[in-house]
This record gives sequence, C-alpha cells and structure tokens, in this order.
Amino acid sequence: MSVVSASDPSRPRSRRRFDAWRWAGRVFLVLMLVYTAMPMIWMFITSIKSGFAAMQFPPQWWPSEPTLASYQKLLDPANDTGRDFLRFFWNSLFVSTMTTICAVVVAVPAAYAFSRFTFPGRTFLFFSVLLRNMFPAVVFLVPLFILMRFLGLVNTHTSLVLTYLTFGLPLAIWLLKGFYDNIPIQLEQAARIDGATRLQAFVRIVMPLSAPGIIATAIYSFIGAWNEYIYAYTLLTRNEQLTLPIGIQRFFSENTTDFPGLMAASFMMSVPVVVLFLVLQRYFVRALTEGAVKH
Amino acid sequence: MAHVVLKDLVKTYGTFRAVNDVSLTVNDGEFVALVGPSGCGKTTTLNLVAGLIPLTSGDIVIGERVVNDLDPKDRDIAMVFQNYALYPQKSVYNNLAFPLQMRKLSREEIDRKVRETARILDMTHLLERKPRELSGGQQQRVALGRALVRDPAVFLMDEPLSNLDAKLRVQMRSEIKRFHQDLKATIIYVTHDQLEAVTMADKMAVMSGGYLQQYDTPAQVFAHPVNMFVASFIGSPAMSLIPLESASAGGKTELTSPDGWALPLSARNARKVEAATGRKIVLGARHSTVKLHKGPVPGAVPTKAYTVEPTGDVTFVQAYLSGAIVNISVAPDIAVAPDEPIWLEFDQERMHLFDGETQNALEAA
Repeated sequence: MSVVSASDPSRPRSRRRFDAWRWAGRVFLVLMLVYTAMPMIWMFITSIKSGFAAMQFPPQWWPSEPTLASYQKLLDPANDTGRDFLRFFWNSLFVSTMTTICAVVVAVPAAYAFSRFTFPGRTFLFFSVLLRNMFPAVVFLVPLFILMRFLGLVNTHTSLVLTYLTFGLPLAIWLLKGFYDNIPIQLEQAARIDGATRLQAFVRIVMPLSAPGIIATAIYSFIGAWNEYIYAYTLLTRNEQLTLPIGIQRFFSENTTDFPGLMAASFMMSVPVVVLFLVLQRYFVRALTEGAVKH
Repeated sequence: MAHVVLKDLVKTYGTFRAVNDVSLTVNDGEFVALVGPSGCGKTTTLNLVAGLIPLTSGDIVIGERVVNDLDPKDRDIAMVFQNYALYPQKSVYNNLAFPLQMRKLSREEIDRKVRETARILDMTHLLERKPRELSGGQQQRVALGRALVRDPAVFLMDEPLSNLDAKLRVQMRSEIKRFHQDLKATIIYVTHDQLEAVTMADKMAVMSGGYLQQYDTPAQVFAHPVNMFVASFIGSPAMSLIPLESASAGGKTELTSPDGWALPLSARNARKVEAATGRKIVLGARHSTVKLHKGPVPGAVPTKAYTVEPTGDVTFVQAYLSGAIVNISVAPDIAVAPDEPIWLEFDQERMHLFDGETQNALEAA
C-alpha cells in the first residue's frame, strides 16, 4: 500500500499524512530507545569510573579517567570479591540452566498434549495450570519455604529450580500451546500416513517447526530464573550458594557503596541475557510455517 | 492397487453421529467421489479410511486386509490434503523423499523414485525449493507427487483443488483425471463441488447428514436421483422442485397448484403418483427439460418471468410456480422481459416426481 500511495501523484494528501505518521513513529521509537537504553548506558559509564568520580556532582558524562579496574577485580579469582562474584555467577548459571532444561522438557510434551489431544479434565487442567499465576509471587513465599524445609531442600539449588518451575512452567506451557495450535494438524496426519508413528511425526515434523516457540520459551524461563531475587533471598543463606541478584547486594555495605563495582557486576549480569537474545533472535522472527499450508 | 470396502461405518462424537452406517465398495482402479455439503460426514469418512480418527463401529477393508485397528502408516494409503500439508522446513526433494525414508528404502532407490516422480509431474526444476517459494498450483503438484512417489494401494484426496483459483482448478481437474487414467489408481476423492465429482469420478457417493444418500455413476445420479436432496444437490443450476398436490378425477391424475392451475400427468407418471404415501407431490425438473412458451399451450402452466439472466450461449429465466423458483434455459435469441406472462411445459418423460412426505423419488409400481 505504501508503494502505491507514494508513487501515485493523484493522491498527494494521503501521502503527506502517511509521512507524518511515519515521522511520529520514528520519534516515538527514538524516545523509547532512549528510555530503555539510558539506564544501561549509565550503568556501563559508571562501571568504568573510579569510586570518587562515580560520586561526583554534577556527574561526569564521560569519565575523565576511564578504568577497567572494577572488572579486573570482579573477574580475578585471586581476591575475595572476584572469587565470590565468579561463584555467584556460576550458581546463577547453574540454577537458570537447570530451570530452563526442566521447563522445556516438561512443557514441550505438556503443551503438545493440551493442543492436540482431548482427554477428560483437559480444560480444567489447562486453567489450573494458570491458577498459580493469578497470585503475586510473594504470596507463596511462606508456603513454599515451609514445603522446602519439610522436603529438606532449604539451602539447596534444587529448591530454587523447583520454585522457578512453578512460575515458569505454566507460562511456558501456555506459550508453547499457542505455537502448537498454529501448526496445522494436517502436517502430522500427512507424516503419519507417510509412514511415521505418532512420536516420529512429532519429533521429525512438529518439533522443528516449533523450534522458535521452544527457544522463546527457553529464553523466557532462563531470564526469569536469572533475575529472580526474593525466593533466592529466602531459600538460600549460605554464602557459597548465593545467586547473582543476592550476591550483588553485597556491594551495598553499611558505610560506603562501591558504585563502580556494583555497576560492573550488574553489567556483567546482563551479558548472558543479551548474548542469548542476539544469538537466538532470528528464531523469533523467522516465520517457519509460512508456505506449509494455504490458508 | 486394491479395492476398498466400507461396511456399516459409524463414527460418533458423544451423542452426535457424524457418520451413519455408511457402506460402499470401491473397486480396484475406480475413482470414487464422496460429495456433499459442509458437515455431511464426507471428510470424516475419508479420515476413517485413512485411520486418522478411530472408528466407532463397522469395518474397513483395503485390499484383502481389515484395517480397522491399523495405524495410518500401515494401511498402504497416500493422502492429498486440502491445504497440501507440505513439510515447510523440507525442500521439495525431501518432501517427496520423506515417505520413502520412513519406509527405510536405500538412498539410491529414494533418489531414483523422487526424480522419476518429479519428471512425471514436470517439477524437476523445483526440487531444491522450499514449499513457501512455490505457487499454489506447484504446491498442489508436490502434494500429489508425495502421494504418488510411494505407489500406494489407495489414494485419498481431501478437497485437493478447493484452494486453487478457478482457472487452475479446471486445469488440475483434468490433470488428476489424466493421472487416474494413466495409473489405474484407486482413488477416493472428497469434494463439496458436485461439478468436480460429476466430471472426474467413475462413481459418486452423495452424502448428507452423515448418511450415504446415493452411490452410483454420475450419469445415473444425475438422471435418477433417489431423493429430493440428491436431486437438488447435483446439477447446476439446481433442479427446480415444485410442491404440488395430486388429484384424481375421472380416471385421470393431475397435479394441482395453489396458484390455481392443474398439470395433467402421463399414464406412467400417474402410476408413480399412486405409489405416494399422501397427496403431497414434489415435481422436479431440470432447466433443460422445461419448455417456455409465450402464449397458452395445452399442458403448459401459466406464470410470469421473474428474472432473466443471459449468459451468452444460453439464457436462464426464473419464474415462481407454487411459491418455488423454477429455472428454465432458453436459446439466447428468445427475448423474455421480466414480469412478462409465460407458459411452461414440462417434459413428461424427463420430469422427476418425489413423495412430499418422505422426500424419496417415486417409481412406477
């Protein structure tokens, strides 16, 4: 439509209005970009300042003496801070990865079953899956803590993985069910007629098509677990088990706060999430099912 | 190739009976069309034959085997879907190769068969493309090729042409017909388009409400519809159905209309009317068997032209008789104006009479 109205001299009016909308859109996007990117940029700038420069007022927009000292300190296992940070980082990575794997392993078949099969109690089950998400997370803090203590799981990473699954799984199942609903059932029927068993049809035809959904679900679970604070704070007390969000808190000390160190740690904490997105974003955009069937 | 026997097929969903006691035999090499309006159970019947949905009761025989409990993959069938159902992530080559790979053929044999099929369907140049890079007609061909490559006992086709545009549909129609003639393949073909069924099939099974209404050659179904549903469904424009009442006076039988006229019947037609359960009779007439007169003629009934639709080589005139629309085709050089009084003469030999109560065709005793 844009091509037609732009090359059609008989409709200058609609063309001008169209351009105005476009510019409004661009301005809006730039504002959104500034809004979302500024904290990240400021975080990075602060992280390469010295402790003194970080507290200066008016602030230095670009540090007069940029330094990577905070990063060196955090990534050097020789000192206490570095050892702690690397351990927290590893703990977070472990908990988040385990959560992601479990979420995908359970959600994929569950979502497929909800999408394809009718069985007694299907609707009830499906909505009860969502019931958990009707309440704020903190509501379950005490019950889950008591449950974990009963199971002897307090102060273990397992308790965190299980807790994160109670948040992540319902949404993962909903998300994936949407993807399976959009994959025409005729594809599986064709595969089954072509000689595949039900499982083969799922693994060889449906799974590759739902890859974008699985990846989106995985990223979602990973980020949820990676950023989670309150449960990690409650269920873990031993220093060597802490995850990053709790660990970073240790940069706030009673008398002074090491702002460059805090910002450097926060910046590195955001790295895995950004990398995940950059590597896997093409799966989000690729419309894989296009051309499969005629609608 | 093989024959297919459906015996008392029933499929229920809860209390809803989607397929009711459908029995028919498809002979080896026969092209059978399952035809009927939306929701008549034709696709359900096809899916039962394919094994995609479980059977409630009855028997399905393909070749010499009862396949009721076999998986689709073990029934030796191939299916072409309405939306083609090509595997979007696979190239055309791999779409064609997939059924052979699942049957664990050797790489060389797969390659040979895929290329041969591609050659037959004239799509060798498309083998490396993905389905989304193909036009609708090409996708349709690939879907056909994927069925063909395996040399199955029976081909099942579920409205394979209904997603194509009108021109391509006519072209693919003749290609599928040719494909059937060359291969002598057993084909069960589902369509809601009676024209497709009439033009392509050796036999057609007309379905409605989950019941098989009539199963015969297109010519027989066209000439001798067993009930009013089949009569009105097959043929375009549809057969006109005029509700009338029978009356006997002085040894003669005639049909009377609330419009005030009476239509005397021939002796044979009078015997048919005697077999009716009541006095309600429905007169069925195809457009070409009604003669239009511009003045009163003995045996013709009076009405007024309602609409006139010239199509070029024939002009269709519609008129109301007993509150029902009647289609008449006339030569294009006969000028008829809307609201002009006309007289319609029905061909006694080629008119259809239906029992107004049971809706079944009346036969002379």
